[in-house]
Amino acid sequence: MTKRIILGAVAIVLVIAAAYASFYIAPEERTMGVIQRIFYFHVGSAWAGMDAFLVCFIANLLYVWKRAAKYDWLGVSAAEVGLVFTTVVLITGPIWAKPVWGIWWTWDARLTSTFVLWLLYVSYLLLRTLIEEQDRRALLSSVFGIFAFLDVPLVFGAIRWWRTQHPSPVIMGGPGSGLEPTMRKVFFFSVLAMHFLMAFLIVERYALEKMKYEVDVLKREAEPQ
Amino acid sequence: MNLLSDTATLLGKELRTEFRSRELLTTTVVFILVVLILFSFAISPTAEESREFGPGLLWLAILFAASLMLQPCFLREQMNDTLSSLRLAVSDPFAIFLAKLIANTLFLLLTEVLMLPLFAVFYNVPILPQLHYLLLVLFLGSLGISIVGTALSAISAQARMRELLLPLLLLPLLTPILVVSATVSASLLDREPVVLWKGIGFLVVFDLVFLTALWLFGEYLLEE
Amino acid sequence: MKNLDSVFAAYIIGWGVFFLFYLSIAKRTSDLRAEIERLKNSLPRSS
Repeated sequence: MTKRIILGAVAIVLVIAAAYASFYIAPEERTMGVIQRIFYFHVGSAWAGMDAFLVCFIANLLYVWKRAAKYDWLGVSAAEVGLVFTTVVLITGPIWAKPVWGIWWTWDARLTSTFVLWLLYVSYLLLRTLIEEQDRRALLSSVFGIFAFLDVPLVFGAIRWWRTQHPSPVIMGGPGSGLEPTMRKVFFFSVLAMHFLMAFLIVERYALEKMKYEVDVLKREAEPQ
Repeated sequence: MNLLSDTATLLGKELRTEFRSRELLTTTVVFILVVLILFSFAISPTAEESREFGPGLLWLAILFAASLMLQPCFLREQMNDTLSSLRLAVSDPFAIFLAKLIANTLFLLLTEVLMLPLFAVFYNVPILPQLHYLLLVLFLGSLGISIVGTALSAISAQARMRELLLPLLLLPLLTPILVVSATVSASLLDREPVVLWKGIGFLVVFDLVFLTALWLFGEYLLEE
Repeated sequence: MKNLDSVFAAYIIGWGVFFLFYLSIAKRTSDLRAEIERLKNSLPRSS
């Protein structure tokens, strides 16, 4: 329990520090100006979300192999947390796009792919609500989760290729835009902070899932013999 | 090899079941037609726009039709309780999936081929010059749809709200197929047709990835 | 500095989303903890 509190505290401190760095340490970007500072939060969330889905993928593989309920708890926790981070990416993206391009959505390759990613894991969670029996739910959603994660690079690849055929405004700088050294340090610090936040949220969500299981066990024991 | 002979036997069964009634075939063809017509009502395309948007709309219609057509795939086995006997009849459960996905691919291809002349007429696209490449894209795309669709059909058959669930699971997963197939098809039907080999290669990769995934994990979808 | 509002909005909305998610977990956790207590107390009586 104390470890969880420490993790949470570290996460919060890092996130606040990263925000401070994004505003006061990182230099202002030449072309876009102050709006570019969203980048540290937006891309940090994107990477953390993707890693959450990676955790889900590994948990799914482990469940199919070992059939231990704890891997299913980890899978659903990581998927939910990943979805939360992806939601933040999808919200901050348009907030970034509007001042820069005048429109909320540009079908930019990365944002579009992120949207599909979001839909994939919403489907994963919806599937789980539609299967009542615990073991079957865990097994079927694990296999779907595996398929979904294998699809992710294909989605990003396909949409990026599609965009080379039909170009559209790009939200973050194109592939050529490098990061100035201070910016790079702030960026990776932001990524680190987001990952700590991700880890903390997964741990908390996992504890909840484990508790749900304990309640079920107790309920079954409490039933009249 | 046992896998091949099991698959061949099951494939025969699948095809016989489908073509005995032929209702699924006709319904699917008509469905795609209706969707294509509705698209033109919705966007009122000019002749040039039809030609531009046609290929994309065709693939969208194919995807919708597939997500409906794939419903009975495993549902049929579940309702008739034949799944356990099927599993006992084969040495490798992958044979069940292989047979079904081959049948589904052939089925989809057949509906697409039947649709093509009408599509060419309604959307003002010249399909004859690049027909061989067009058929290649249709084949690779339909194969991808069938591989993923067959797997997902096994999943949704065991869940509630399966009629809505299958499209919900299927369509996001198949985004790469839609995007790439539509782009390659559009390029083939353009004023100056170009064969986008990168796109075709991508479809091959997609099909291989999910065929392998189905081979590795399919049996878990059939567990009791 | 006109876009500073958008940057603040992005950070605050983003943090808001994370915070709401954490809140929902915390609330469900404390509800379940209460239920576990209740169930544990009811058990000795039935056995």
